[in-house]
Amino acid sequence: MSAKYEKQNPAFYVLIAILVFMSIGPVMLMFINSFKLDVDIISGTSGLLFLPTIQNYEKALCDVLWYEPEHVDFCSLKFGGAFINSLIIALISTFLTLVIGCMAAYALVRFRFMGRDTASLTTLMVRMVPPAVLLVPVFGLWNNEFCLDKEGLIGGLIRDTFGGRGDVCLAGTHSGIILIYVAMNLPFVIWILQSFIVQVPRSLEEAARVDGAGPFQVFFKVVLPLIKPGLAAAAIFTFRIAWNEYLLASALSDRNTKTVPILIVNNMSEFNVEWGVIMATGMLLAIPPIIFTLFASRQIITGMTAGAVKG
Amino acid sequence: MKTYLKSGAVGLAMATMLAGTALAGSHGEGPYAEFAGTTLIVNFPAHPHYDAVMRILPEFTKETGIEVEVDQLPYLKMRERQTLELAQDEGEYDLIAYVVFSKADYVYADQLENLAKYFMNPKLSDPAYDSADLIDGYVYNIGFAGGDRGYLAGSTGSLFGLPYGSETSVLGYRKDIFEKHGLEVPETYDELLALACQIPELEPGMGGLASRAASGHHAAHAFLLHLNPLGGAIFDDNWEPVVNNAEGVAAAQALKTIVDCGPEGAVSFGFGEALGSFLNGDTAMFLDTTIVAGQVDNPEKSKVVGNVGWALHPMGTERASQTGGFGIGIPANAENKDAAFLLMQWLTSKKGDKLVALAGGNPSRFSTHADAEVNAKFPHMATFGEALKYADPDWRPIIPVWGKINADLGTTLSKVLTEGLDIQEALDGVAERSRTVMDEAGYYTWN
Amino acid sequence: MSRALANRLTPYMFMAPAAVIMAMALLYPLMYMIWGSFRDWNPSQTIGEAEFVGLNNYITLWNDPNFHESLGVTLRFAFFVVGFEMLIGVGLALLLDRNIRGMSVLRTLFILPMMIAPVVVGLMWRYMYHPTVGTFNRFLDDLGLPKVDWLGQHALGSIIIADIWQWTPFIFILSLAALQSLPRSALEAARIDGATAWQQIIYVKLPLMMPVLIVTCLLRLIDAFKVLEVILVMTEGGPGLSTEILALRISRTATEFRELGVAAAMSNYLLLLLLAFTVAMFAVTSLQEKRAARIRAAVEEDE
Repeated sequence: MSAKYEKQNPAFYVLIAILVFMSIGPVMLMFINSFKLDVDIISGTSGLLFLPTIQNYEKALCDVLWYEPEHVDFCSLKFGGAFINSLIIALISTFLTLVIGCMAAYALVRFRFMGRDTASLTTLMVRMVPPAVLLVPVFGLWNNEFCLDKEGLIGGLIRDTFGGRGDVCLAGTHSGIILIYVAMNLPFVIWILQSFIVQVPRSLEEAARVDGAGPFQVFFKVVLPLIKPGLAAAAIFTFRIAWNEYLLASALSDRNTKTVPILIVNNMSEFNVEWGVIMATGMLLAIPPIIFTLFASRQIITGMTAGAVKG
Repeated sequence: MKTYLKSGAVGLAMATMLAGTALAGSHGEGPYAEFAGTTLIVNFPAHPHYDAVMRILPEFTKETGIEVEVDQLPYLKMRERQTLELAQDEGEYDLIAYVVFSKADYVYADQLENLAKYFMNPKLSDPAYDSADLIDGYVYNIGFAGGDRGYLAGSTGSLFGLPYGSETSVLGYRKDIFEKHGLEVPETYDELLALACQIPELEPGMGGLASRAASGHHAAHAFLLHLNPLGGAIFDDNWEPVVNNAEGVAAAQALKTIVDCGPEGAVSFGFGEALGSFLNGDTAMFLDTTIVAGQVDNPEKSKVVGNVGWALHPMGTERASQTGGFGIGIPANAENKDAAFLLMQWLTSKKGDKLVALAGGNPSRFSTHADAEVNAKFPHMATFGEALKYADPDWRPIIPVWGKINADLGTTLSKVLTEGLDIQEALDGVAERSRTVMDEAGYYTWN
Repeated sequence: MSRALANRLTPYMFMAPAAVIMAMALLYPLMYMIWGSFRDWNPSQTIGEAEFVGLNNYITLWNDPNFHESLGVTLRFAFFVVGFEMLIGVGLALLLDRNIRGMSVLRTLFILPMMIAPVVVGLMWRYMYHPTVGTFNRFLDDLGLPKVDWLGQHALGSIIIADIWQWTPFIFILSLAALQSLPRSALEAARIDGATAWQQIIYVKLPLMMPVLIVTCLLRLIDAFKVLEVILVMTEGGPGLSTEILALRISRTATEFRELGVAAAMSNYLLLLLLAFTVAMFAVTSLQEKRAARIRAAVEEDE
């Protein structure tokens, strides 16, 4: 890059300072408040003059702490468990979406085949479906239709190994939530990756094929390494949705598969708004996305641009 | 299992009470022996009473050997979860806490166990249970179904659940503010409304009465709070909606007055915000459930510790306070019904009731309200006991379609409060829509 | 022979996993929903037990004033949100399109709001809007100004502000990328011709950016109909129905009122609406693309 920077008018820097303050101010506010006691938050001894405390975090994480904080009566939040659920669901669904998505994108870009246009159009169309629209059918299907009889072979086996009661249904399992997340994210991932695959020079693939590589080998050995930036961008976006989603997870999860956003919404219970603890849980939920943003902002921006430019 | 009982008194009381029974549990004899080692999965709401229950559950496990795993959810969420679980052939939950108005749905759909067979079973039923000591208003309101109008006491009904975490309404007021200006604690609605609007003038920046008003359930609840005392009702004896009569309008007017003279932002208050504003000292009075007493005296939550007095729900044409809260029952599709009954019985026994009261819960027995130890710790318990006498089991209709009417009522009232919709017009609309709902549900078949 | 067959099967093998998953978890549910929308269906029934009621659910909704209001709120929300975000986002991009130190750090900070969970965004803003303890009212109070009843009287405006906070950076980043990929030659040409900064923006930059801007706008519009969690956490749709967007109403109808059939019918209305938007925007995009290509060609010929 050239080291030549234009000198700007001071008002310009003021504007930038204001913008930065506006975009990270609320996050900082949450960060600070998560270290305050409720009384301090409510009474409005505003600013930075307060005694920081990690009580809120201790209360949120009480089920995974190795010691028992004295101010915690009983551990009701079970944040640790929800955090693990969120991790499992987000990581597995991101991985699956990427693998399946880039295979499909590759096929759509590189092959002419019957049904290609239909597939491409469908992919575009389902991108617009809001999660709320999926709520009713997914709720019904996952609870009643996508089930295995507990008397049946596989169902019986699952019940014997994992316990639980009733027919084995997708609802209330990690797999159930993962399935809908993969399906929801696929159209977007396919869309983004197409624009990266197009840029892979055909000659490289031809060369590999001449050397005797099959189509799958070409794909995994030649194409995949070349579209790494695209994969990174797609991964971050998929992870972000799977990590942050609330509505469908809340309809599909049960007490053992709750994710963090559900826990946060539940904890805003009307009887007792505990701002400190809520802010602490919010902060914990926001940490992975913040880390991604700080370390992979280039990929995120590439992904966003790729997703939008390709109409 | 992280139970820290802050008060030594509770621990002591528990120790003495448990001394006798703990032995029985550890041997292979006694009513609990057969179930030792069972794990019960129970569904409780996130609610101060059930927080208190969480504190005493370890004692149950110690005494009986029965493990309890609690799934605590916000109560509207809890209801959604239960709708799903109870409809299955085999459910996960062994014991559930349910909101009063779920009683109609669950019993109607045959999803709750009739408790008769458990109380008849000599192996399960504790002879010292003393059912007469349970507050009868609550029992009929929460546990009883099949009597008059389907949800009230009556010869044809029977018991499907027990009240647990039930509550009535009381008026909390700031003693310091009332003394400062020489105000009288309001006895009637006229006095209450006058005071509510007088306080903001005497104490600039302070609201009169904190009330819930947020769209939906909150606004409906606040309205119902005033409807019965002012002589109104949702339906007449033939299920015809009468919510839009003069008394109904007066109740809505009362709500509007209270919100208008209330603290900053009162129109969007849910229960939490209303309580928060009282605890923060932004409001001089608070008229709602008894459950808040514990928090008012907790210096971690409240800035008005020691400054709050309690009085009965003021009178309109009659004295009628709300009946609400939760009951516990056994789902028909539960796995460990007998053990669940034992837990239910233990929780609502004299011993359990006292323990939960000392841990900050809402007792459901007369004897607990009169108990010296409980009163020593919570002096307001006597007023609360008095309020119970006026608890009105017909406070709201507990019928299967109530949820829908309640939602409509709450949304419409919120429009009255925020968008200036005319009260009469609003209630006429509610009445008309309710009639359609009731008609579809078959309530006019016999007319 | 078999090799040719294998070759022909290859694309299908690549497509198969995605096709199966999308068919099972997107298309089939959508069909199922359409089927369910003709039924009087509550959550404790399976769809087979629910009674068939024909178009009843659709007719009820068509005449339901609450549905109309909710639809109005949704459209207003989407319109204002997208309008302001486009305006501010593109404006900032034009303003900040300079070669300055630390631009990449700046962009990183700007995308932060988008990456954070909507649930968390909702709770942050709910706190800041709080009538007494919230940041905004405290600030106003310190200045001696009257407090504003953010989530009460001005609820819709308040949630629009929160959404603008979260999503303007999206448009900013995309417009900036579009600006920086404009053909330098066209800009030079304009500058040599003596165009003022304003003229450059209006006659050169904006028309050349148009295809990207339209796609961006389309994406935001579709996303604006998906917003739910932020509003759920901030207002739960209240006061009244003033912030109850359709997505929220669908979820309330399904869970609180327990009418899955009506919720399904409402979902279908929402889908139809989005479909209309998508198709319209596609049409506009292809038109614009042709025009932009012409302009680009014309500019390049000028050199």
